[in-house]
Amino acid sequence: MITLIEHWNTEKKWENYNSLSKKAKGAVEKPRKDIEMDVLLEILKGKRFITCHSYVQSEINMLMKVAENFGIRINTFTHILEGYKLAEKMSRHGVGGSTFSDWWAYKYEVIDAIPYNGPIMTEAGVTVAYNSDSSEVIRRLNQEAAKAVKYGGLSEEEAWKYVTLNPAKLLHIDDRVGSLKEGKDADLVLWSDNPLSIYASAEKTLIDGKIYYDSRKIPSIIKEMKIEKDKIIDQMKSATNGGQKLQPIESSSNKEFFCETVDK
Amino acid sequence: MKKTIILFFISQLLIIGQQTPGNGQFESMLIENAIIHIGDGSIIKRGYVGFHDGKINYVGEIKPKNNYDKSINTNGAHLYPGLIALNSTLGLAEIDAVRATRDYDEIGPFLPHISSSIAYNAESKVVESMRMNGVLITQTTPRGGVISGKSSIMQLDAWNWEDALIFKNVGIHLNWPSPYTYKRVSSGKRTIEKNKNYNKKVKEIKDFFKSSKSYLPNPKPINLEYEAMRNLFNGNEIVFLHANSSKQIQDGIIFLSSLRINKIVLVGGIYSYKQIDLLSKNKIPVVLKHPHNLPSFIDEDPKLRFRNAKKLIDSGILVSIDVSGSMERMNSRNLPFYAGSFAAYGVEKENALSMITLNAAKIIGINKNYGSIKVGKSATFFISKGDALDMRSNIVDYAFIDGRKISLESHQTKLWKRYLQKVRNSKKELKVK
Repeated sequence: MITLIEHWNTEKKWENYNSLSKKAKGAVEKPRKDIEMDVLLEILKGKRFITCHSYVQSEINMLMKVAENFGIRINTFTHILEGYKLAEKMSRHGVGGSTFSDWWAYKYEVIDAIPYNGPIMTEAGVTVAYNSDSSEVIRRLNQEAAKAVKYGGLSEEEAWKYVTLNPAKLLHIDDRVGSLKEGKDADLVLWSDNPLSIYASAEKTLIDGKIYYDSRKIPSIIKEMKIEKDKIIDQMKSATNGGQKLQPIESSSNKEFFCETVDK
Repeated sequence: MKKTIILFFISQLLIIGQQTPGNGQFESMLIENAIIHIGDGSIIKRGYVGFHDGKINYVGEIKPKNNYDKSINTNGAHLYPGLIALNSTLGLAEIDAVRATRDYDEIGPFLPHISSSIAYNAESKVVESMRMNGVLITQTTPRGGVISGKSSIMQLDAWNWEDALIFKNVGIHLNWPSPYTYKRVSSGKRTIEKNKNYNKKVKEIKDFFKSSKSYLPNPKPINLEYEAMRNLFNGNEIVFLHANSSKQIQDGIIFLSSLRINKIVLVGGIYSYKQIDLLSKNKIPVVLKHPHNLPSFIDEDPKLRFRNAKKLIDSGILVSIDVSGSMERMNSRNLPFYAGSFAAYGVEKENALSMITLNAAKIIGINKNYGSIKVGKSATFFISKGDALDMRSNIVDYAFIDGRKISLESHQTKLWKRYLQKVRNSKKELKVK
């Protein structure tokens, strides 16, 4: 809080400094440029949005109070597993909730996490999205949305918004993505069935109108890769037989990123 | 008056107490007009299930002639055998990150004399959350070491571990060593090398089994570890071989078969499709790793884990589902959806159901009483509004274990109802203002 208040003073200092004549500028000390403070200023001016990783109600409540003291709004609470306990307060504050569908009990903070969290927040008027920071679950987010139908009895239409229009709104990109509408980006999925059904699979995925995934092509891609792999193995075998030394095998799996990943 | 009020409150608490196990079945009951999923792959499109004294005494399309004390008309809802979660640590830990709540891993490499059943927490909040999705039976399995210990079969509605037991000490769990070692290098990539200790580790297993086999009757003093191995050699208990790669599976099965151990179950088995001939020849069932996992290798079919079940089932292998893995306990309630995912990738729907009902029961040897809707078997089943293998229609209205109507409430449903009411009340207040 102190740093935020200090910041207002810093901004005044810059305003004062910039209003000076070139000669006068030379006579005074130039205010300090602080990129961290610049970001905070953007928040205070409503140009940058806060997404906050959160779990229990106490901390959620506290942050909303801090923000309200500065006349600003938290944009999104992510994870927000106890959002249902403060749903009306969140609704009044105008913050969205981007939560997990049914994860709980993996640490003490989530002992009260319930799969009804999303639907209760919806009932209170909060914009709700389902997310996952698991690289496995994220590829089945359609099924996670279906859990809002099972737990809490949301309509299928409303549940589907949890993974389409609502997150687009929370990211302030709903003018471009999140629904099928003339003028929006052609980011599309062709499903074999109602995507909320466990029996549905993605047949085609398009980004900006270009096909990035086509399920029909997978068998031939796998076949090609196998041929290539066998060829490499054969080459390695003959190299070993020829007395050559091999370098260790390195898989090209990428590093997984999580919410708390800090990387250079 | 005060006393009456207190008594009233206590009785209310008992009714809503989520973990309070159901009373024994005193009255006979008839389930009417249900779509009956038998569990063996067959289905009765509209029928009746009657049960008394905890046992099913009628299954059929026409209404039975004899009278039942009570009846439930399901109006076309789906009736399924209680789902069975194999290779599970349900009840052995509560909060993953809180070490004091974890009790699934004893210290030591060879622990066949450890029985996980006594560590099972019947009061677990995680366990009760299974029941509203239809998971009613679990194989409570220890973890860690080379031989982790013995698993037992529990039903999920009990006051204590002893009452929960369906089958104590069904077999030992052997973790076959990996022939490869994986290392993360600084770039974040993985390197794969041959495990230099593989032969040594395998030899330790072989030595332990051979010593156990040559262990004499009535020895003095008693060796508890070897004593606990007897039932494997006389065929009374199962060896659950935990292995995923083709080489692990091959080496493990060939070794166990050479000792004339005939009850072998493969657990995990991600690459078991590469050993189909060996599995078929030795009639070894597979408790297959659930499909909600990423591919292990970059050149792998992204849907391999989903297609795995069909490959094995088509070869005539008895297959069930292994629920272990990341966040396995809380996610075990997704067991019906694991089966549904296999169904989405080629397994016929009723066969996908069999994987987690009759097949599971056969694998752990409780199929005489559990696993399908059949006269004479235990009345352990649930009724869902729609298709239970699909999350959008798995809505369980009733569940019975051994004929007892069990509570579907949980810590989670209690919080749901309280806080939903809170939101609704505040809306009303707003309107009044």
